[in-house]
Amino acid sequence: MNGRTLSPRRLWWLAVGFTIWCVALVILYALHAIGCAFGWSTGPLRMSLALVLLVHLVAIGWLWRYRAAANRDPGPERISTFMHTVVIWTLIAALVATVITFGPALLLTTCI
Amino acid sequence: MSVPVEPPSQGANALRLHRQLAAIWATGPGVQRLAAVNHTVLGMRMMITSFLFFAIAGVLGMLTRVQLATPHAGFMDAETYNQVFTMHGSMMLFLFAIPMVESFAVYLTPKILGTRDFAFPRLTAYGYWCYLFGGTILTVSLILRAAPDGGWFMYTPLSSNVYTPGINADVWLLGITFVEISALSLAMEIVVSILKMRAPGMSLDRMPIFAWYILVTAMMMIVAFPPLILGSILLEVERAFGLPFFDPRRGGDPLLWQHLFWLFGHPDVYIIFLPMAGVLSTIIPVFARRPLVGYRAIVVAIIALAFLSFGIWVHHMFTVGIPHLALAFFSAGSAVVAVPTAIQFFAWLATLSHGRPRWDVPMLYVFGFFFVFTAGGLTGVMLAMVPFDWQAHDTYFVVAHMHYVVAGALAFPMLAAFYYWLPLLTGRTAVYKLSQPAFWLVFIGFNMTFFMMHLTGLLGMPRRIFTYRGDEGWNWLNLLSSVGGFVMTIGFALVAIDIVVQLRYGRRVRRNPWDSTTLEWAMPIPPAPYAFASLPRIGDETEGVAPGKLAARLARGDGYLGFTRNGWQETLGVHMTSGEPEQLIVLPRSTYLPLVTALVTCAAVLAMLFKFYLVSLALAFVTFGLFIYAGQSAGHARDYGPLPVGRGVSVPPHTEVAGAPAWLALICTLVANGTLFTSLVFGTFYLWIAAPNWPAAVTPEPSRLLALVTVVALAVAAAAARGSLRAAAADRHPHRWIGVAVLTLVIAIAADVTLIAGVTPHPREHALGATAAALLTYVGIHAGIGLLFLISNVLRIGAGFISPRRLTDLRLTRLWVDYTLATGIIALGLVLALPALVAMLGARP
Repeated sequence: MNGRTLSPRRLWWLAVGFTIWCVALVILYALHAIGCAFGWSTGPLRMSLALVLLVHLVAIGWLWRYRAAANRDPGPERISTFMHTVVIWTLIAALVATVITFGPALLLTTCI
Repeated sequence: MSVPVEPPSQGANALRLHRQLAAIWATGPGVQRLAAVNHTVLGMRMMITSFLFFAIAGVLGMLTRVQLATPHAGFMDAETYNQVFTMHGSMMLFLFAIPMVESFAVYLTPKILGTRDFAFPRLTAYGYWCYLFGGTILTVSLILRAAPDGGWFMYTPLSSNVYTPGINADVWLLGITFVEISALSLAMEIVVSILKMRAPGMSLDRMPIFAWYILVTAMMMIVAFPPLILGSILLEVERAFGLPFFDPRRGGDPLLWQHLFWLFGHPDVYIIFLPMAGVLSTIIPVFARRPLVGYRAIVVAIIALAFLSFGIWVHHMFTVGIPHLALAFFSAGSAVVAVPTAIQFFAWLATLSHGRPRWDVPMLYVFGFFFVFTAGGLTGVMLAMVPFDWQAHDTYFVVAHMHYVVAGALAFPMLAAFYYWLPLLTGRTAVYKLSQPAFWLVFIGFNMTFFMMHLTGLLGMPRRIFTYRGDEGWNWLNLLSSVGGFVMTIGFALVAIDIVVQLRYGRRVRRNPWDSTTLEWAMPIPPAPYAFASLPRIGDETEGVAPGKLAARLARGDGYLGFTRNGWQETLGVHMTSGEPEQLIVLPRSTYLPLVTALVTCAAVLAMLFKFYLVSLALAFVTFGLFIYAGQSAGHARDYGPLPVGRGVSVPPHTEVAGAPAWLALICTLVANGTLFTSLVFGTFYLWIAAPNWPAAVTPEPSRLLALVTVVALAVAAAAARGSLRAAAADRHPHRWIGVAVLTLVIAIAADVTLIAGVTPHPREHALGATAAALLTYVGIHAGIGLLFLISNVLRIGAGFISPRRLTDLRLTRLWVDYTLATGIIALGLVLALPALVAMLGARP
């Protein structure tokens, strides 16, 4: 044992990227349902959905940049390097999934 | 005060150590087998039980094929057919698939992780008994011709008591919920055990890939099951007491059931698939004779898969009238989920192509899996496309797809796993003259049965019809499906015969017959009840050491805990990421308590089923009481301080550390509980925005004063729980604080019950009142359980189980009351907001 251990709290990072993806899904789905139920016109509804998507993309992108910078020297332990790699790639995967899952859909007719 | 204990016996030879450990860990003979809490015993029992249910469900499937083999068949009437196909699906999914993957996890995970057992052996036993009793209730209902008959996903309004007035639907709702309690309890214990109970030095990056799969699967179960449990509770409450959550005439919505069901149902496909993918990721490198390609990529892929699988539940609901834009989210998500699956496929193929593959029986089934699951995945991508789904929805195409992905993803890897690990279970290997023809019969029969269903589906055959006219062009396809079904059944029967024959005539094998590198082969086969005589150190010194050589060292006691002490069942708790030893976990020994508790739980379920509601409530209280009773003997009644565990290392017992397994278990419980609560909040908003007949004729008028009293009382209780913890840590009496917490929780419950009594509109009249009552009941129940925590604290303080070093009980109570406060604020806030939400509906166009 080399004295430095990786905090168990770092495990939460494995879930952060896709948790934001889930939050984006829930908010977009709910906002869209509310907008359609209350008869919002197409323009504002589409804009608000796009804004929500953008916020989540920025959040994941910022986290990716933050983790990449914070872990440029991940430490001597194998586990640190492993966690660094896996966290970075889950963030990248979440970012790509967010773009593909929610981006093109926003171009469709809103409430039909 | 730390008290030294007897020093470990040094130099004990392997046989003496085996006898000493076996005397402590072994399950007793005869009737004492009912008291078993050992993971090896329970894992095996779960496997056998799930196979029995598989056999029953398989026979039911064959009966449906007999009925559908020809048009106008009179083999079964419509009512019987409905029960048979419903029970076939329900048993396959809930009584076979999920328990089967759990049984693999229970039997194998501790061994693969190099530890001696799970963190909560009594919970494993309770989970097993709940599963057995729940499954038995469902099976007996079939014999009594009172089985569920509304399809395995029990859609409302068909399953409401207007259209299903008997107890058929109640059997499903209560029986399946009972089984799910088992699944949830096992999932929590798997998460805790993988994170806290690995072999020393097994950091997460050194963890066998199988454990990653099981860990992610168990976490998925913790989040996936609560929505269905909630849905089942709400539907049972509607059926029993008339609260109209799903009745559109009174402000409910049948589609709410579909949302809650598929929030469970879609991840469930991956809950079944991922452990089997873990099996493949374990077996393929062994037969390819090289390490798995892309370990890190696979870890990323399974994390991605776990999340994405939750976000696509609506793809089962493409035809219910959701706007196109929202459908597109779920359509795209359903296509994207294929990517992490494909990453695993390519990793397996790369492992095979870069290795020196050898063929054996398990690899035949791996081949079968590749073929079948690829076909099922491709039809899955087809169904993810909304226009195609609209055409194929509720046809046999969906039945075919579902069997290719669920049955294929489960059956072929499962049989690969059986043949691979049979030498571990029995010490003998397969009789190849039977196992090879058995594979080909299963493979040919499977494809013959289910491939034809794609075609009948495309020709327009709806699922769940009990007969057909004969002029639709489906006749020969249905006949081929039925013939294929029988071929497949003969194949499975041959597999069963092969296993039985092997037990008697199989060739005895040396340890580690496949030259595997995982730790389950570093033990005597069949495994001893203690699994490892001493625990291995994982690191550079053991990397590349053959399990056979390692086994000899461990059997001599050269690893950690290679001795006995105080008759304790000892194993090590480790740091979650690094795997360094940090606590000595002393596990409970065999007891009848899990069986008794499960029997009382079963009685509560049966009383509910037969509408003895007060009896059911009383039995539920007895169940809680038994849990408290079980907790009374947990831990130690004195401080020990650091104890030697071998290799020059000393660690404190689990009772004296902050990160005890119980702490992590409660976090898992609250995650599951929080998911259920979130589903309830979702249900409230869903009904508000989507249900017909809103707003209600009567406007809700919740008492703000009572709501305030409830929240303040909960806040004081939370502060008092913290006070009790601080007092105990400072070696002062915490009784006064506990008294304050008890008093304030009683006040909170009283205020909450008064609020429920005054809910308007009446909960039976409109879903608005029903959801408000459900939210308030949730708060009341949690405050009540908080009281049980506090009572347990008082009893345990009196018995000497709590000291400034041993504070786990009080920490658990604080966490529970904090959770109750947090959810109480949200629930009461939502109830108070209901009048404003209802008023907003007036602004709708």
